[in-house]
Amino acid sequence: MSSGIFAALIRDTGGSVRSDGPDVDSDAAGDEASDAEPRVRTDGGTVVDGAGERSGSADAEPSLRSRFRRSRFLESIPFWGPPGVLVLFFVYGAIGWNFVISLTGWEGLGSPDYSSLSTEMYTQLLADSSFHAAFQNTLVLLFAFTVLSLVVGLLLAILVDQKIRLENTFRTIYLLPMSLSFVVTAIFWSWMYNPSNGLINELLRAIGLDALTQAWLSDPQFKLAAIIFALMWQFSGYCMVVYLAGLRAIPESQYEAARIDGASTTRLYWRVIIPQLRASTMSAAVVLVVFALKAFDFLFVLFGVNPGQSADILSVMMYRVAFDRVQWAYGSAVAMVLFAMALGVIGPYLYLQYRRGEL
Amino acid sequence: MAQLELDSVTKRFGEGDESVLAVDDVNVDIADGEFLVLVGPSGCGKSTTLRMVAGLESITDGEIRLGGDRMNEKRPAERDIAMVFQSYALYPHMTVRQNMRFGLEESTDLDDDEMDERVEDTAELLDITELLDRKPGALSGGQQQRVALGRAIVREPAAFLMDEPLSNLDAKLRSQMRTELQQLQDDLDTTTVYVTHDQTEAMTMGDRIAILDAGELQQVATPLEAYHRPANRFVAGFIGEPSMNFVEGAVDGDALTADGFRYPLGESVAAAVDGSANATLGIRPEDITVDGSGSLEGDHTFDATVDVVEPMGDENVVHLSIDGGPQLIATVDGLRRIESGTAVTVEIPEEAIHVFDGSSGEALHNRSLDDAELDDRRV
Amino acid sequence: MSAADRARSAATGLDRSRVALYLVLLAMVAFYLAPLESGLMTAFKTPEGFRTTTPFALPPIGEFTVSAWGMAFERLSSGLLNSAMMAVPATVLSALFGSLAAYGLTNLSWRGQIGVLMLFVAGVFIPYQAVLVPLTQFWSFVDLGGRIPLAFVDEYQGLINLGITHVAYGIPICTVLFRSYYATIDEDMLEAARLDGASAATIYRRIVLPLSVPIFAVTLIYQFTQIWNDLLFAIVLVSDPSNQVVTVALNQLQGSFVQQFNLQMAGAFVAALPTLVVYVLFGEQFAKGVAGET
Repeated sequence: MSSGIFAALIRDTGGSVRSDGPDVDSDAAGDEASDAEPRVRTDGGTVVDGAGERSGSADAEPSLRSRFRRSRFLESIPFWGPPGVLVLFFVYGAIGWNFVISLTGWEGLGSPDYSSLSTEMYTQLLADSSFHAAFQNTLVLLFAFTVLSLVVGLLLAILVDQKIRLENTFRTIYLLPMSLSFVVTAIFWSWMYNPSNGLINELLRAIGLDALTQAWLSDPQFKLAAIIFALMWQFSGYCMVVYLAGLRAIPESQYEAARIDGASTTRLYWRVIIPQLRASTMSAAVVLVVFALKAFDFLFVLFGVNPGQSADILSVMMYRVAFDRVQWAYGSAVAMVLFAMALGVIGPYLYLQYRRGEL
Repeated sequence: MAQLELDSVTKRFGEGDESVLAVDDVNVDIADGEFLVLVGPSGCGKSTTLRMVAGLESITDGEIRLGGDRMNEKRPAERDIAMVFQSYALYPHMTVRQNMRFGLEESTDLDDDEMDERVEDTAELLDITELLDRKPGALSGGQQQRVALGRAIVREPAAFLMDEPLSNLDAKLRSQMRTELQQLQDDLDTTTVYVTHDQTEAMTMGDRIAILDAGELQQVATPLEAYHRPANRFVAGFIGEPSMNFVEGAVDGDALTADGFRYPLGESVAAAVDGSANATLGIRPEDITVDGSGSLEGDHTFDATVDVVEPMGDENVVHLSIDGGPQLIATVDGLRRIESGTAVTVEIPEEAIHVFDGSSGEALHNRSLDDAELDDRRV
Repeated sequence: MSAADRARSAATGLDRSRVALYLVLLAMVAFYLAPLESGLMTAFKTPEGFRTTTPFALPPIGEFTVSAWGMAFERLSSGLLNSAMMAVPATVLSALFGSLAAYGLTNLSWRGQIGVLMLFVAGVFIPYQAVLVPLTQFWSFVDLGGRIPLAFVDEYQGLINLGITHVAYGIPICTVLFRSYYATIDEDMLEAARLDGASAATIYRRIVLPLSVPIFAVTLIYQFTQIWNDLLFAIVLVSDPSNQVVTVALNQLQGSFVQQFNLQMAGAFVAALPTLVVYVLFGEQFAKGVAGET
């Protein structure tokens, strides 16, 4: 189990570069590999893109070599071509189209008028106080939800990693919520948060904390927090899986070495283990952010298109504006902001991985 | 007739400033039925060379011919070669029989019965008949190795290419398979190129060995020739275990001098080094005489101290420091007791020395002892 | 203190910390299962029952009923059927495309493939809101039912549109999952097959595909869950009530029976049943899919 797409990609480069990349020689026997001279394969992040047939200088039979290279390329097209076209059209084409629509003033019935394009919608957005609120809530949700899920997931992973019995059962239970639809979990949590009969308030009353009972989902003060908590419930198991894979990748000998060095368990984790989970944290955080940006379904089931200003987030606002008020162009502009936010997280991450040669 | 010729074969990875020259102008002619071992340290370009022969890597420059036909543009499957991989590369979801048949199905027009017959014959040859219906996962490393060989043999190719086929086996099995492979190749008499980093395999298996370093061919010779008459310092150091001793020094008239060390040269050797300012003296560990009794005398004896003794059983590897001079490694009989710290006299007999040019590393003089024998061998 | 005493106290210390560990683990089990357990209990209670008892308590005698389940099933059955009809083929297709793309971008190396791969990978993270408006435009423009004179296409136009959309947006994650697996396939083995004379297509069909069974299981299970659970695409792309999928039907059920919590909970379980069954049977594969998405 990898600790993620990017971990997967890391492993992968080893594979694909091996045969065709400019590793000078691939003949080191296992025992010899460690003292082998630096080979391009192991440290040549930047050459990965040449995984194809990179061959010699321009003066040596260029036509032959390019034919060789082209043949591998042509050979591969039937495999990635059709899915590539679908992705290109549905993902990238659609985003481009969405951007163009956001530049029109299209609303109501009828078709967009592509002849006059302007940034009018974006100017409107900047002046829209409900956009400000949704934007701010989205940021709060992103941050709090991500951090909370990571922390809970990490703690769970460390606990599950203690060579416990029934490990599979515990893991399965912790991950269970993730397999459920937002529609289903929203219904469960609306019942959990029910002010008069919900389990949360019932428990608070049971331990004598009646004063703390709230109308969690209708009180603007608690709405967003209640949503974040429920989302954490759904996705912290996922963080656990990612962290557990990261923990399992750390060799047992490191725990033993730290014990012999006299480190206490807390310090062992704090100083030796957790710092090595940076890659897991990063990839899990990226995915959590994207989940949070997509958390529309959950809010939509709980509140419909109007969660109220205290819990409105951009994905709900986009749907409300475009599909409820049929202000298509304006909705598209909100969607572009969402896209930009996702890009702001994914872009640097992908670029970083690429620069490190891990893509 | 399947003579394999590598004619100025060059491989360059990458382009422009980033390019790496992996194989540089390699020329080797491998006779029909010959067993050639391609040996060198990791990263020397030997696997790349083999992969170019196989067609898994494009050839930047030069030509590869098999049985006189140019191979450069041919696809791997069209080259009439079979390859044995270090990882065996068996298809895990197919039985041994299916593994061996796969190549026949994909590259020949044989009918089912003919294919079955060939597979059975090959299995018998390799003594793996009882494994035919098992999957690779259920086989031991040694058995997988045989199946990998069988998959190559069954296709009856014009040439075998083997990429470190034994390096995943344990030491005992490896030496057993070494012998078996040699016999097999003798029987089949198929041109074979065998890549290894292990100089023992190179010495024991090949009709000839080709030594590569940093993409350049250093020497192509019979194993004994490479051992006794190395073309240069690299070959001298690479072939032989423990490695040859080297003392770097200056040519001073009819002697070779280094810090605290002066080695007088005889007439013919002195003539050979004439013209080089610096030269390296080479001497194999087994050619150094170590004497503790003080009875050794002569121009080529030196006082030394024993630093470390590594007993190997059949021999002792003795690490020595010539007093005030260089350090040497000598091997002496395993039954001889030598304590570290003792003072000894060592002799470096002139008839056993090699001298290499100080800058180019080319052999200026090789040992003379076995000249007659080697000459016989060459005929 | 004797050595034996020390050993014993160390052992009890150990025992104590193990007990604490299991207590925490069990508390977390309670936390993760509480919403489900409360929901399940509530679904078996009469309205009087769920108003007067704690949610997680068993239904009291006399307040036990299965009527909510019957009604939920009746309300959701056509949605279940529609979801299954759409999700199964869409899952298979997106997995197949992902497998093909991953093979072409991993095992057949060529220059510049990292760029193409990047486009696939980035597709995993696209917020669907960014494509919703063009999607509705696109499908209304395509108008499959109007163009293809088949009763089947006309009847299930919404589901077909939705399914194709899911296939397209599922390709990136499927590609990533397959790629991480294909990267572990021994490169030498594929080269051996090339030397044996097999073409790229033959290698895929005879070597790679048979070896892909475990990753197909992972991808199919994960992708099925994702498609089954989606609400957003479904409410935007399917307007015809007869084509409604189960998540939309469940959402409507929740909206129209506001105070009938037993019905809502029973509905939630009915809608989640296929994914729950898949999860219970193939939890390991699901976990691998999840980890692959990281």
